[in-house]
Amino acid sequence: MKHLWTTSVMLSASFMLAACGNSQVEAPEEETTEIPEEAAEGPKTLIDGLGNEVEIPSNPEKVLGSYLEDYLVSLDVTPVAQWSVSDGESIQDYLQEDLSGVPLIPHDLPYESVLEYEPDLMIIRDAVEQDMYEQYAQIAPTYVLKSSPTEWRETLTEVGEVLGMEGKAESVLETYDAKAQEKAEELSAVADSESAAAVWMVNNSLFVVHPERSSGAVMYGDLGLEIPEVVSNLSSDADWAAISLEELAQMDVDHLFFVNSDGPEAELFEDRLWQNIPAVQQDQVYQYGPETSWLYYGPIASEQVLDNVVDSITK
Amino acid sequence: MEQIRKRQLNKKATKQRILKRFQSRSAATYFVISLAILLVTMILSVSYGAAQINWTVIRESLMHFDVQNTQHLILYDLRFPRVLAAALIGAFLAISGVIMQGLTRNPLASPSIMGVSSGAGFMMALALAFFPHTSQFGLILWAFTGAGIGASMVFSVGLFSKRGLTPVKLALAGAAVSALLQSASTMLAMYFNVTRDISFWYAGNIAGIPASSVRLALIIAVIGFVSAGLLSRSLTLMSLGDEVAKGLGQRTGLVRVCGILIVLLLTGTAVSISGTIGFIGLIIPHITKKMIGMDYRWLIPFSAVIGAWLLVTADIAARMVNPPYETPVGALTALIGVPFFLFLARREGGGLI
Amino acid sequence: MIFKNIHYLILALIFIIILMGILSLATGHLAISPSELVETALGEGSRRNELLLFEFRLPRLFIAILAGAALGVAGTLLQGITQNELADPGILGINAGAGLSVVLYLTYVSNRETTSPLGQMMTLPFAAFLGGLLAACCIYIVAWKNGVTPIRLILVGIGVNAGFGAVLTLFQLRMNQSAFNQVTVWLSGSIWNAHWSAVISLLPWVFILIPLSLYKSRTLNLLQLGDEMATGLGINTERERIKLVAIAVALTGASVSVAGGISFLGLGAPHIARKLVGNKHQRLVPTAACIGALILLISDMIARNLFAPSELPVGLIVAFLGAPYFIYLLITTEA
Repeated sequence: MKHLWTTSVMLSASFMLAACGNSQVEAPEEETTEIPEEAAEGPKTLIDGLGNEVEIPSNPEKVLGSYLEDYLVSLDVTPVAQWSVSDGESIQDYLQEDLSGVPLIPHDLPYESVLEYEPDLMIIRDAVEQDMYEQYAQIAPTYVLKSSPTEWRETLTEVGEVLGMEGKAESVLETYDAKAQEKAEELSAVADSESAAAVWMVNNSLFVVHPERSSGAVMYGDLGLEIPEVVSNLSSDADWAAISLEELAQMDVDHLFFVNSDGPEAELFEDRLWQNIPAVQQDQVYQYGPETSWLYYGPIASEQVLDNVVDSITK
Repeated sequence: MEQIRKRQLNKKATKQRILKRFQSRSAATYFVISLAILLVTMILSVSYGAAQINWTVIRESLMHFDVQNTQHLILYDLRFPRVLAAALIGAFLAISGVIMQGLTRNPLASPSIMGVSSGAGFMMALALAFFPHTSQFGLILWAFTGAGIGASMVFSVGLFSKRGLTPVKLALAGAAVSALLQSASTMLAMYFNVTRDISFWYAGNIAGIPASSVRLALIIAVIGFVSAGLLSRSLTLMSLGDEVAKGLGQRTGLVRVCGILIVLLLTGTAVSISGTIGFIGLIIPHITKKMIGMDYRWLIPFSAVIGAWLLVTADIAARMVNPPYETPVGALTALIGVPFFLFLARREGGGLI
Repeated sequence: MIFKNIHYLILALIFIIILMGILSLATGHLAISPSELVETALGEGSRRNELLLFEFRLPRLFIAILAGAALGVAGTLLQGITQNELADPGILGINAGAGLSVVLYLTYVSNRETTSPLGQMMTLPFAAFLGGLLAACCIYIVAWKNGVTPIRLILVGIGVNAGFGAVLTLFQLRMNQSAFNQVTVWLSGSIWNAHWSAVISLLPWVFILIPLSLYKSRTLNLLQLGDEMATGLGINTERERIKLVAIAVALTGASVSVAGGISFLGLGAPHIARKLVGNKHQRLVPTAACIGALILLISDMIARNLFAPSELPVGLIVAFLGAPYFIYLLITTEA
């Protein structure tokens, strides 16, 4: 009995990602050797998303950016602690190659846990955390991001700006765009104007990715796959919108990327409705576990999705 | 010898007379009409959803089922189970309410107020925390045990207090036991990180119930309905008060135990499948008693049908309030149930203390 | 009645509160040794310990004490007015009304860009007060039938509580994920915003309304004699009752706005106080305030440390401790 009502899962969509298994991360080779050489000269003052004047220390050594680890790692910054849920039951597995050994901090950032790591700079975003802004600001300079959580490019640029690494951020973006273009061409050679969708199953509930967010932005925006009608009709503001089995069964899609947090023995696969889906019958369903980067945002997550999509379809 | 036989005959005659007096001529008519309305509502429920499915398709799927036809599969695997589940759970809760109110002669007795539902929820939280891979049937057993625990906690309040379980005490004890068990479940859930699974029981939901659960519920429905039917004559006599029932040869203790077992079975099953859906067990008996009287042989089936209809209707409403999202049906039944509860509280609060 | 001299009792209770308070300051996710505690208190501690004590733990401690005292007194008043020892703002649905109002206020009215954080904190108790008042009115109107019997009041309160709960669920469904999460935790009782500004927002309510309740003790005592007697002694019972309900609701609202929906505290505190000092409200009100403060302080300590660094909503702890006590009361009290 593991059904749950929509909202409580929408919340889980951003907070709790049931994770199991090991990470298989392709290291971003081009970027690993560079050292942040352009660290800023002296302390500078920036206006953050709440309108606070934040004095950013020059050369912050202990940076805390919970749920922003993807951006930090892509800029070669190792955070002082990393996002986790329930004492590490869920962490961002796909980043562990770069984050191994980095201690965990609960996702709701209790004051005392933050104080424990004594960061010199904190970057935060969530509405929950904004309420606590004044307390955090007493521990360390705290910068609240202006950019929308759904725009990873803008977020990367902003994080780069805060850390005084604008150039580095730009080069990460350029590298990504070049790779995306190359992959898109590779893809269009075998699957021109074919449609795709990403569906996430957790606790026997199904969610489909928003066409402009997370892995959706990569599939449709960067790789040019077609958006199926059912997906574009979903009028939801969530990154992953609830979709009933009924709607999924009627989805006319060529390639189905299936992010499975319930394990290979989930009841769904026995279902006659599932077996009737065209993509399933044509064996064009590609399964990924929750340890992959499909549910996340950021340059590394997106790059891994690029590889996943193209590898699966061209295979 | 002769005298004893005579007295027994006499007793039998009195019993017959009493049962007859309770019989309402219109009961059968009411029952048939309500059954028809239930069927129509169920068909409405089946045809409402994301995929457009009309009556012709429904009929066709019933006559010539086609495994390759997605619409037929949607009907068979999703919509029929859902509407059946709603109807069964509504019936379970209504029957539980009728039996509880009959046994306790307490107008506020019902599964959600007596701590039965929260007890079942608590044990399921326990099960999910420690044995996350419990089967559906296993969960029903856990919920059954929990229902028993919750009910016995509330009953023991009555047992230990000097003036027994008055309606007010019942409501208060139920509120306290529910608060205790819910805080315990929430702590468990937070510690074991199963909040997502557990938050759902407190709102109640009948979306996406797998067909296997419904089959299980059907089996339990047969057991529950038949035994409730067998008990119905005794319940009618019990409703006259223990003294009278004893005088007419009823073994009141046995009837009470059987009645409670039926309640635990039905409520436990309902909670394990759909979470806590409140107030149905409270409202329905009051309405049905008003309509057809106190003859439990009609009261039980009639209440079952009305309970089923109420939950099927609430389920349709839950899907229509805020599409494409589903509103927890428990919140909707509470919105209907609260005014009713207030009405009862206003009426009973003065007198039956 | 155990204690004849109330002054000694109150002094003793305050002493225990201070002791437990120090213990509470010393415990938590981050360790702090007794010597460090003293050093920091004397202003010679490290920056880290100063933050830990003065910014994180101390405001929280004050909130627990103030909110606990407010709820203890609110419970005392409600039990006095309804002449029912089972009355509690949580059980009666006043918490739920205040909670609904706070949630609506934060979602639809209050705007971060126009309201400063302190301004928002200061207006929250008013929103909570209005919601609580609405709930109280609902209860009173529904329960009114040629007067109000205490029992009917409680029954209706339980219903109103369930009703506000259902409406809240419906509103919550329209929120975004993080707000939903936050509201769920807060509704079950949680000192969520342990700021000095929250302490400041509570102060005026507690320091005006608790003395006011004390001032009204005579009226409360007379109300215990029954309406006829009280009227005979020159009290306008209905008007006094409404005034007292308003005070109780205001105290509840203030505590709900910073500490969420804590049930059973307003029930237990007056009871323990009654056991200690008897039925006179002059003695009952201050004792219940101290007991309430002490219970919430200890519960919050448990809530912070049980699953550290994660926090449990303190309301869960209070309910877990309070519900069995309530059941015990149900069994032992007549009617």
